[in-house]
Amino acid sequence: MVHTFNIDGAYYLFDVESSSLHVCDALTSEVVKKLNGEEYNLTGADKTAVEEIEKEILELKEKGYLYSEKKEETPIKSDLVKALCLHICHDCNLSCKYCFAGKGKYKGKAEYMSFDVARLAVDFLIKNSGNRKILEMDFFGGEPLMNLDVVKKTVEYAKQEGKKAGKIFLFTLTTNGVLLDEETANWLNKEMENVVLSIDGRREVHDGVRKTVNGKGSYDVIIENIKRFVKMRGKKHYYVRGTFTNKNLDFGNDVLALTDMGLTEISLEPVVLDESDELYIGKDKLAGIREEYRRLSKVYLERKKKGERLFNFFHFNIDLEGGVCLKKRISACGAGNEYFSVTPFGDIFPCHQFASNPKYKMGTVFEGKINEEIRNEFKNANLFTKEKCKDCFAKYHCSGGCAANNINFNGDINKPYEITCEMMKARMECALHIYAEKLKEERE
Amino acid sequence: MNRIKLVATPAKRKETGCGECRSTCQSACKTSCTVGNQNCEKLEKEAKVNKSK
Repeated sequence: MVHTFNIDGAYYLFDVESSSLHVCDALTSEVVKKLNGEEYNLTGADKTAVEEIEKEILELKEKGYLYSEKKEETPIKSDLVKALCLHICHDCNLSCKYCFAGKGKYKGKAEYMSFDVARLAVDFLIKNSGNRKILEMDFFGGEPLMNLDVVKKTVEYAKQEGKKAGKIFLFTLTTNGVLLDEETANWLNKEMENVVLSIDGRREVHDGVRKTVNGKGSYDVIIENIKRFVKMRGKKHYYVRGTFTNKNLDFGNDVLALTDMGLTEISLEPVVLDESDELYIGKDKLAGIREEYRRLSKVYLERKKKGERLFNFFHFNIDLEGGVCLKKRISACGAGNEYFSVTPFGDIFPCHQFASNPKYKMGTVFEGKINEEIRNEFKNANLFTKEKCKDCFAKYHCSGGCAANNINFNGDINKPYEITCEMMKARMECALHIYAEKLKEERE
Repeated sequence: MNRIKLVATPAKRKETGCGECRSTCQSACKTSCTVGNQNCEKLEKEAKVNKSK
């Protein structure tokens, strides 16, 4: 399968199975469309030129760079656990309009994880991790800094037990920045391998949706904390993780606003909400979003050329010559199979997105056992069980989408949520374009 | 090749099969499952070792 696309006057051929990327001209693109059985336009095309193109295509096909054979691989089906997301508290000091976790309380009452539950979660992870050396633990909420004492004790305990078992823990914490004072920042910088900071971009955009519990905008409460933290963070990993809604479909400007404040590691995600919500992004917005991603990629390349401050946009990163194995690419994130979330009550769920759905409770850290029926639902779902992904050019890069979105919107883990599929494809074309342009620049 | 220029050569990609790769969603996004920008932990570790030599 070969995908053709063009951005900003550059024409590309992307061979899906081999992940080969080629640049070409407009005529070649039309010839490939014809071969693909798609709509094409060769009116007035020079016959000799077309023959020459067909010859080149054949040569590349023989080399395995175009129309390459479909890959065969089996997905990861291990019984090991490699990562846990600890809902360190189901409570929040903000009241964001789009919160999937129901203002941090996950459709329940405010609850804080005890150290006893956290300790059992660490034990569960180590015990079920087999010979895996690197283990991941993510402190999530609500707002985890509201229960910082337990986070600190858990980190100490995990390090101590990890050492005994020959494991290395990588910790991540996601915070809204309200309680991110200098002392906390110092501790996070010492202990966290990654820190995810929630901020949506421009002041008016952020304040429109990320409210304090009193209903006021939270920008002024968090901005200095986040800027100071990033400065103190130095070269260690962090991500500013924002959300865009139908109120800021010009979200590229939020990426740039963050960049200009020195917050350059950015992941800006589309809001995922029910159709009835005022912030919902519907299919009618997709064409505009596609153009916005393209505009952002153009700005990125222009800034790069001019030597201006750059941003590292999570979804514009792609590595065609490196990256993870095919086995991982077809198995997706691992939720419900090798990655789970644990609530303050000690309940185990496939991931944080399921934590308010009792149907997906898989066990508790007290028993230390996982419901195999639910686990199998996740374990057996992979790229090859998703019919709609078969002919998608982005399949080896998105793995068939988020399991929670698929279940929540289509009632089936194997049915990808169309709206995020389209956004994924739009972002990937931009990522490939940037990849090609960077290489071109290096070679020049 | 006059018309088609190969940009990326995927044959260079190494398949380590070690399974030390991270769970995807935790890295940053929390609502999408992007593996295309993930690193291979083993190769990254090797690269660091080589760099320090």
